[in-house]
Amino acid sequence: MAKVSRKEQKAATQQHLVETALEFFAARGFANANTADFAKAANVSHGAVFLHFPTREALVMRVLDAFGDRLSAAFNAAMEGEARLERVLRAHVDVLSEYELFYSRLVQEGALLPKKARSLLFMLHASVSRRLRLAAEAEAAAGAMREIAPHLLFNTWIALLHHYIANRDIFAPGESVLAAKGDELIAHFLNLLKK
Amino acid sequence: MTIKCVSCGSCGFPMEKPEDFALGDPSQPYCRYCTDTGGRLLPYETVLDTNARYYVESQGVSSSAARGMAAALLASMPAWRDRPSA
Repeated sequence: MAKVSRKEQKAATQQHLVETALEFFAARGFANANTADFAKAANVSHGAVFLHFPTREALVMRVLDAFGDRLSAAFNAAMEGEARLERVLRAHVDVLSEYELFYSRLVQEGALLPKKARSLLFMLHASVSRRLRLAAEAEAAAGAMREIAPHLLFNTWIALLHHYIANRDIFAPGESVLAAKGDELIAHFLNLLKK
Repeated sequence: MTIKCVSCGSCGFPMEKPEDFALGDPSQPYCRYCTDTGGRLLPYETVLDTNARYYVESQGVSSSAARGMAAALLASMPAWRDRPSA
């Protein structure tokens, strides 16, 4: 059996902590989560958590970063070839649906996150806004869509999504609200923009 | 599951294609937005302004809030975290 180097072991542990953190914050939220309980959930010592993430905020930043990577990967796949707004919206809904409970915590607690983490969350939003803008501009140039200011394009879409996600227990009790309503929201948003 | 892409050591911008990197060279640590035509890192204030503007244009947040968020993020970036006033 190949010997695992310390570097590889460290990377594997960190990956395990990040994956656990995505589930842990989804289940517990950010405000009520402490690192001692996180260590138990990850089945590692409290010291091991601090070895990788010296502060709770560092763990939150890393998990947001990992979530951002997944968003980017989904958008990159959606934007290969011709950039179509519908594909971008679909990719957004699909990746948020996969991490819906985690993302619902960000929707509900985003304003209470430490400043640096909140800034990163808004940077992730900026990246989504950029993808929407690129796709919408291409379709507006082709004459198929109305032109709309980039920040309003994004804010209109995200307000719609966030309302459903924040109230997911009412819109789709016991199931993924984005799986249940995603098609309807995408169709509605595209209809608003149609020329 | 690892999908980690390289991000700019100055602003955190995800660098996915060669043209995202300074000089179009994927071995460069910074993105094209944070560097000049010679690949040198731009001054902190310039990078701060660019990032703040990105928040404003993408989401319509106020200029002062955008500047505060940009400063908070840059403070954790390799290029700027040891900056005396950071």
